[in-house]
Amino acid sequence: MRKIWIVALTEYLNSVRSKAFILGIVALPVMMFGGLIIGHLASDKVDVRPRKLAVVDQSGLFLPLLESRAAERNANELFSSTNRTKQVKPAFVIEAASTNGALSEGLELTLSDRVRSKDLFAFLLIRTNAAEIGATNAISYYTETATYEELPQWLNRVVNDEAKRRRFESAGVDRALIQRLTAPVEIRQLGLTKRDTSGKIQGAKETNRTATFLIPLGAVLLLFMLVMSSAPALLNSVLEEKMQKIAEVLVASVSPFQLMMGKLLGGVMVSLTLSVLYLGSTGWMLAKFEMFSYVEPSLFLWFIFFQLVAMLTFGSIFLAIGSACSEIRDAQSLMFPAMMMVILPMFCLGPVLQSPSSSFARALSLFPPATPTIMTLRIASKPGPPLWEILLGAALSTLFMLLCVWAAGKIFRIGVLSQGQAPTLGKMLKWVVSK
Amino acid sequence: MTAAPPTFAVNLVNVTKRFGQQVAVNDLTLQVPTGSIYGFIGPNGSGKTTTIRMIMHIVLPDNGTVEVLGQQGTRAANDVIGYLPEERGLYKKMTVRRLLVYYAGLKGMGAKDAGRAADDWLDRMDLSAWAGKKLEALSKGMAQKVQFISSVIARPKLLILDEPFSGLDPVNLEVIRTAILDLRKQGTTIIFSTHSMSAAEEMCDYVFMIYRGNKVLDGTLASIRARYGNDTIRLRVPGGAEALRGIPGVEVARDFGQNLELRNTGDPQALLQAIASRARVELFEVTTPSLHDIFVRIAKPQTTEVAHA
Repeated sequence: MRKIWIVALTEYLNSVRSKAFILGIVALPVMMFGGLIIGHLASDKVDVRPRKLAVVDQSGLFLPLLESRAAERNANELFSSTNRTKQVKPAFVIEAASTNGALSEGLELTLSDRVRSKDLFAFLLIRTNAAEIGATNAISYYTETATYEELPQWLNRVVNDEAKRRRFESAGVDRALIQRLTAPVEIRQLGLTKRDTSGKIQGAKETNRTATFLIPLGAVLLLFMLVMSSAPALLNSVLEEKMQKIAEVLVASVSPFQLMMGKLLGGVMVSLTLSVLYLGSTGWMLAKFEMFSYVEPSLFLWFIFFQLVAMLTFGSIFLAIGSACSEIRDAQSLMFPAMMMVILPMFCLGPVLQSPSSSFARALSLFPPATPTIMTLRIASKPGPPLWEILLGAALSTLFMLLCVWAAGKIFRIGVLSQGQAPTLGKMLKWVVSK
Repeated sequence: MTAAPPTFAVNLVNVTKRFGQQVAVNDLTLQVPTGSIYGFIGPNGSGKTTTIRMIMHIVLPDNGTVEVLGQQGTRAANDVIGYLPEERGLYKKMTVRRLLVYYAGLKGMGAKDAGRAADDWLDRMDLSAWAGKKLEALSKGMAQKVQFISSVIARPKLLILDEPFSGLDPVNLEVIRTAILDLRKQGTTIIFSTHSMSAAEEMCDYVFMIYRGNKVLDGTLASIRARYGNDTIRLRVPGGAEALRGIPGVEVARDFGQNLELRNTGDPQALLQAIASRARVELFEVTTPSLHDIFVRIAKPQTTEVAHA
C-alpha cells in the first residue's frame, strides 16, 4: 500500500506542479466567462453606417408614416442610453422611390442595381391592397443582406401597427378597449407546499426557471469536464513511461498492479483537487447570489461520489489502453470507444432534463457507464429520483468500476512491458481472461 | 542477529519460459554465488533479458523455480535488488534529486534516508550542481550516471545491470566501473549483461552464455577457456592473413588489423616454421581463446576458413 501511495503522490505532484494544470484551472472559467465577455465586447462593434431604404408606396398609406417614424427613431434611439456620444444603432434613411407610385419590372431592376452598387441598402414595394384584411404579397422587402434583421423587423412593426390601426378604424372598433380586453393572464410557476420540521405549513415558492435548469446542467458539465481533464491524461502518462522506457524500471520495484493503482489514485487526487476548487467557488457564487436554497447539500456528496466512480472507471480503462500501446497513433484509435463511453451520455441530457423520471431516464441512469452522468443530472433536477434508485445506481456503477479496475490490472500487467504493434480489442480481452 | 546470506544470490533450477510457440529460455539451471560478479553474455534475442526479468519476477517462468536472495517465487526480494535495464529512460520533467528520492522510495527507503543517499551519490558522481535541475537539461553522459545511481541508491544486495557501459565515454565508463567494483567489495552480488567481451573478461568472476534459450557456457573465465584448450595463436606478421595462405589446419578467428587471432588444429611449432619461412614473425603467442572468440565460435559456427591450397 505504501508503494501505491508513493506512486500516487508523485503522479499527483507531477501533475499539479505542471504549467498545464495551472492553465487547466483557469481554462474552464475562461471558457465559460470569456465567451460572455467577448460576446459583450463584440456587441459594441455595430456597423452604424446609415441604412438607406427606397420605398415604392402604391397604396399611398405608409410612406409619410415611415418617414416620420424613421426621423423619430433617428432622433431618439441611435445613441447609447448611458453614453449619449456613442452611436449603437444605424440611422434608417427613407427615400421615396417613385413619385407616381407605379410598379414595374424595370423599376425593380433599377432599384436592385442601386442596391448592388451600394447606393441603397434595400427597397420596399407596398401594393395598393396592403392595409386590406387577407391581403397577400402586399408588401415586399428586397435586399442583398438577408442576415441583417433590424430593418425588416422595424418595417414589419411600423407597417403592421398602421395596417391594424386602419382596420380597427374602418370597423369602428375602439382599439384601446380591445387591447385591454385581450390582455393575457399570467401563470405563476410554483414548487410544492410542504410542512417544515416544526410542523408549520410552508407555502410553495416561486420556481426559478434559470436555477432549475442551470444547476443540473452545470453539475453534469462540471463532472464531464473533471473526468475529461483527468482520465485521458492517465493514458498519456503511462504511454510516456513506455515510450521513454521508464516502465521496466518501475515494475522492477513495484508490481504492475501497484503501479497502475498508484497512477489511478494520483489521477483521482488531481480530479478531486479540481473538484474542490470548482465546487468551492460554485458554492461561494451560489451563496453570493442567494441561490443556495436551490441546491440540496446531498447533491455535493453524490457529485463527489459519482466523480470518484467515474474517474476510477474511465481512468482504469484509459490506463489499460495506454499500457497496451507503444505509440500515440495506436492509442488514439483504441481510445475512441472509451471516449464514446464518456461522451455518449452527454447527448441524452435534453430528454432526461425534460423528464427526469421517465422510463428512459431511469433505465439510462442505471446503466453503469452512464450512471455517474445521468444519475447526477437526475439528483440535481428537483425533486430527484427515489433514494433506492440512487443507491441501486451507486451499487451497480461501483461494481462496474471494480470490474474495470480488475480487467485493467490484467491488461496493464501484460501491456506495460509489451512492445511493438498495439493489440486489438480482442487480444486485450484475451489478456483479461488469461491467468 | 542477522541471518547469514544464502550461498547463492540467484538460484535458477530447470527454468523454462515460452512466449507463444517461441522458447525464450529452455530448462535453465544457474547459480550465482553471493558476492560475485556474474557476466551474462549472448547474442541479441538469445534469452538474456528474459532470464533477468524472471530473476526480477517481472515475468514468471512456465516451469522450474526461481530463488533470489533466499526468496522463492515471490517479489519479496525486489526491494534489495537494483536493476538497470538495457532500455532505460527517465522522467524528463522531474528534477534529478526528486527522481532519485522517488526511485529509492519505491524500493522501500524512507524519504530522509533516500535524500541523504541521493546527495552522497550525486557528490560522488560529480553531479551535485545538477541536483535541482530537470533531467531534460542533462547531457547524455550525465543522464546515464543518474540512471546508474537510481539502480544503486537503495543499497541493493543484488545489482542487475543490463549493458551498463553502452554509450558511455571513457571517463564516465571508468567512474561507473569503479563504482561497480566498490559495490562488490561491500558485498553486493552483481549480474551484468554485456556485449563487451573485454569488459566481461576484465570484471567478471563467472561468465554465463545463453544462446537460442539454452545455456552454452557457465563457469569461471579460466575454466571456460581451459575447455577450449591452447589452440589459439596470437600472431603479427607483415602482410597479415595473406602470409597464411595455403598453410593447412589454421583458421583466422579474428583480424585486429595489426594482430591476428588464429585457431590452430596442428602443431604450433610446425606452424611457426611454416610462417617464418614466408615472412618475418613479429609476434607468435600460443594461448587460450579469448571470450570474444569463444562467443563467436558458439554463436557463429561458420568462421572464416583460410583458403587451403
